[in-house]
Amino acid sequence: MNYPVWQLDFFGGGLLVILIAVFHVYISHFAVGGGLFLVLAERKAHRENNPDILAYVRKHARFFLLITMVAGSMSGVGIWFIISLLNPAATSILIHTFVFAWASEWVFFLIEIVSLFLYYYTFGRMEHRRHQLIGWIYFGSAWMSLFLINGIIGFMLTPGNWLQDSNFWSGFFNPSFWPSLFFRTFFALIIAGLFGLVTATWIKDAHLRITMVRFCARWLLLPFLFFVASGYWYRAALPPELQQMIFARMPSMRLFVDGFFLCSPVLVLGGLLLAIRLPAGLSRSLAVLLLLLGQIYMGCFEFIREGGRRPYIIRDFMYSTSILTKDATRFQSEGLLRTAKWTRNQEINETNKRAAGRELYNLLCLSCHAIDGPMRDIKKLTAPYTPSGLDAMISGLHIFHRAMPPFTGSVKERGALATFIAHGLNGRSDPTPVQRAEKKVEIPPFDPKTDQFVLLAWSPLGMHSVAEVKGLLSLIPPGNTLQAQLIQRGETPEIVNQGVTLSYQMEDGFAGADEKTALSGVMMPEEDVFATEEKALFFVSKQGFDPYPVVTIEARDENDVLLATTKAVAPVPAEMGCSNCHGGSGGLNDRAGLSRATALNILETHDRFSATALLPAALSGKAIRCQSCHADPLFRAEGDKARLNLSASIHGFHANYLRGRGAEACAFCHPSSPTGATSGLRDIHTAVGLDCTNCHGGIEDHALGLLRHEQQEGKGQVNELMAHLTPNSSKSLDKIAPRKPWINQPDCLHCHVDYQPPETDTVTNTWTKDEQSLYRHRTDESGRLFCAACHSSPHALYPAENLDGAQLNALQPLQYQHNPLPLGSNRNCAVCHTVAMEDEMHHAHILRDFRNE
Amino acid sequence: MDSAALIPTPDAIPVSWGWFQFFLLLTFFLHILLMNVMLGTAFIAFVSHFRRKAQTTPCTEVISGNLPFAIAFAVNFGVAPLLFVQVLFGHFIYASSILMAVFWLSIVALLAGAYALAYVYKYRYAQLGSSQLLVSGLITLLLLAIAFFFANNISMMQAPTSWTRFFDQPHGLLLNLADPMLLPRYLHFMVSAVAVGGLAIALFFHWKQKKGDQGAGPWVTYGCRWFSYATMLNFAIGLWFLVALPKEILTTSTATGLLLLVTLGGGIVLAAPAIIFGLASRVMPAIVCILATVALMILARSLLRTALLAPWFSVSQLPMSPAYSPLFFFLVFLVAGLALIVWMIRFARRSCTEEGEVHL
Repeated sequence: MNYPVWQLDFFGGGLLVILIAVFHVYISHFAVGGGLFLVLAERKAHRENNPDILAYVRKHARFFLLITMVAGSMSGVGIWFIISLLNPAATSILIHTFVFAWASEWVFFLIEIVSLFLYYYTFGRMEHRRHQLIGWIYFGSAWMSLFLINGIIGFMLTPGNWLQDSNFWSGFFNPSFWPSLFFRTFFALIIAGLFGLVTATWIKDAHLRITMVRFCARWLLLPFLFFVASGYWYRAALPPELQQMIFARMPSMRLFVDGFFLCSPVLVLGGLLLAIRLPAGLSRSLAVLLLLLGQIYMGCFEFIREGGRRPYIIRDFMYSTSILTKDATRFQSEGLLRTAKWTRNQEINETNKRAAGRELYNLLCLSCHAIDGPMRDIKKLTAPYTPSGLDAMISGLHIFHRAMPPFTGSVKERGALATFIAHGLNGRSDPTPVQRAEKKVEIPPFDPKTDQFVLLAWSPLGMHSVAEVKGLLSLIPPGNTLQAQLIQRGETPEIVNQGVTLSYQMEDGFAGADEKTALSGVMMPEEDVFATEEKALFFVSKQGFDPYPVVTIEARDENDVLLATTKAVAPVPAEMGCSNCHGGSGGLNDRAGLSRATALNILETHDRFSATALLPAALSGKAIRCQSCHADPLFRAEGDKARLNLSASIHGFHANYLRGRGAEACAFCHPSSPTGATSGLRDIHTAVGLDCTNCHGGIEDHALGLLRHEQQEGKGQVNELMAHLTPNSSKSLDKIAPRKPWINQPDCLHCHVDYQPPETDTVTNTWTKDEQSLYRHRTDESGRLFCAACHSSPHALYPAENLDGAQLNALQPLQYQHNPLPLGSNRNCAVCHTVAMEDEMHHAHILRDFRNE
Repeated sequence: MDSAALIPTPDAIPVSWGWFQFFLLLTFFLHILLMNVMLGTAFIAFVSHFRRKAQTTPCTEVISGNLPFAIAFAVNFGVAPLLFVQVLFGHFIYASSILMAVFWLSIVALLAGAYALAYVYKYRYAQLGSSQLLVSGLITLLLLAIAFFFANNISMMQAPTSWTRFFDQPHGLLLNLADPMLLPRYLHFMVSAVAVGGLAIALFFHWKQKKGDQGAGPWVTYGCRWFSYATMLNFAIGLWFLVALPKEILTTSTATGLLLLVTLGGGIVLAAPAIIFGLASRVMPAIVCILATVALMILARSLLRTALLAPWFSVSQLPMSPAYSPLFFFLVFLVAGLALIVWMIRFARRSCTEEGEVHL
């Protein structure tokens, strides 16, 4: 953070280095191998006493001189220039550490120039052995240049003991020095053959042409075995984690690794083809093609080497961002803009946020990413993200993207960077707080003097989300049920479960999954409770976005006489935050539902990280259902036993991007935000200031609990997901209780012990022991009246309130007791009991005043 | 914005700064001579092509034949001082290079273009005909542009107060045109190049003359005249440069100031007889005088940098992390390499038979 950053957009991401370096590396290896080629070709001419061959060698020497001196040395200077412009800090380290290696290389460069000029300009004027001696001196000095540069380049990839002792020799003779030297030497010989083929195929005399083409082809074929062997040695010399990174973990490397392995047999085959007699035109074309292929071959190798080094420019010492690894933590706590020398915006406020983001981009991203350019274009890569989504992504970027360094700035700086990229470059914004008009519902009448029945209905799923694109991807299919209990009022009220029919009718404007079916039907009795069959509900009515469809339930006797009517909401919390990071729009008003573009991005991301082929399968018409592979107790889906269950997998992965964010992390994906369109967490606990984490724990604990369960099941893949998650309720991972999704959940009684006011507002790591212990299955002391009948759905406990106002979420209390409190609160037993009640029933302390009215 | 706060923190050097200063001055001296020969002879060739062909062909042909060598060696000898300047002043020159990155990087393309054209000029000299003027003009123009960018970078690296402009122009498009020293400095170097180029032509034909070439005499005079007139002109430009220097630099109250005055004075004093020798076509004495002048001027240039950077930095402040064994190996390579080069040249000269005869 010492130097100014040359602000490049299109040319950012190291494009200029690549343009110069890939070309230079090819020529410079030619300059080494070509030297040996010249002397051995000249020796052949003299041995065979063949003046035609000698004339060819002389011509080739001129070609060699022009190529290596003009293109080679100028592009070599170019590399010096460009690396100091794009990464001055790393260049400075290389210069200061290896100054005498560079200086020695300069000496050999000088010898190269003198000897090459002498070799070419004395061609035919000197006794041949003496002339060849000059050629040998040239080759020796060129190879020594390779020897010296190889030490420095190898140091960047495998600095070895230099990291500990800072010793010149440790860095120079680093772990990959020798294999790399041999690898490059054999590569240089092959390249010499490739260039030789180009000049040889231009020889007019057919006999001489085939002689020299075969001679050149041998330069491809003979060193090849040694080249391959040294390649394996080179690979084996790399630290295991580096090998894994290059050959297994980085999908972006695949193209170059495949390219390299594909080019090898093609080059050999090309060499063999040319060794047979081909028409001149064809052999010329093939020679030029092979030369270009050689450039690609070299390019692939250099990309693999450079790419494998990422996220470092000097491995384990300096990141590609020029930040020393030892400084990363300090910059995270102190902030980068304040620490870097060449910044204008050292403090971030609302007015300079974008400008500061640009400065952070220059410091942290520009070295590897272009804006609208060909090198890892940041706009394309971040197109799916909203500013807050990108902020989350950046916070965990290094965990699964092994080529990325950790973000080395403060949290505020991370936000500014995300804003600059996602909003400034891509024009995306975070969803703004929703202003929805309060939904008014006509409350059914209830006369406590005359009405004999109380009908109670609720949704057993409080914040059950919907995430499905029909025919493409189903994460959570739309579906909800209502449950109801009919109570006959009296001195001893009775739960009625026979001789009555309960029916339901969705409010106008909503339709079923096929978008035609009217949502109405009969509720089926299940002992004391009536339930709708699971219905696919959608959040869009003819009136627009509405996550809380109102359902009217009626109870009639066998003579179809209406006994009771009530209303309840059947929540459709479809406000998934997938589009924060997976692109597309969030459905209606950019807020709810899963769009096709989002689903495609999710599938593509899954394929990229898990080496699956879901996207092509989906595009070919096969709908992807997550539960097909990942077990999900909610849907009784067994999944593939070897894989993580769906909750563990999703939370385990995404938690790495949402660490340290409290309840905000939950609202990234779930409809729990109090300012969200759904405001799904709408019960009394929200009103008293609690949030998701008070009951569920922070995202780290939440994910770790799920992952620990899978770990106990012997699923080793959890280790990678858990590696960067630190428990937030405890210092020890062992204290995180393993849990199974949808079964081991928080429960009211964990805080409200014995139905008493809670002594704490937070209980984490304590879960229901089995499915039957869940709130939605719990009944009162009689074992017949469901808790939810009087208290409502999970996350909507009375008195519940959100953007829709207090009425919508407390329809039945308002109907039966003209207040939004739990039914029977403040000793209002008269809702069901026609005589005054003095004894506690249903649960302990029921006769107490409601505390949070 | 405080310019001092922008100066990057330097990395540690492995041996005492004096070594690097020595190598920097030595290799820069060699580089500047070769650069002068390259640019000066290219310029002279270009101007010569305005005259009637027959009058100048012997000279321009020689220049065309040798220009690629001059470029090759000028570049090679430019690498070493660029390396050593990065060791001592990397934190200044990296910053200034980035500020003018577009121009700085364009040097590579300009140089490659000039080099390629030099080979065209050499190998297609006869075929070029009247296009010789165009090609030599282009080469000269490219080399002059490169030199201008170099002068800008050196000017900017020595003036951290000019760096704050980066915040309004971060695209690498800054030059330091506001520096009053820039233009006289650039012209001083360029006219020197023409002078030394002239002298190089004179020296070449002087050798030919010594080998018995009867027609070489006028070209010795031709080269010497270029040298002398250019050097005379350089007195005036040098005076302009002197006037443009910050007043506080030229002082006897500091060691740097005093040394600067002494080296400048020595250089000026030695340049006068060089002109006279040049006018008298006495090549070798002129060369001796001008080599001494160039050496003194390079010292003066280094002292000027020391003085300009004094408020910000001194090489003696560089942290050191001692590692002498690599220096030892470099010295061995350097001595052995130079010996090998000398041996090779002598070996080649001894071994060469008459031109055109091919040994099989």
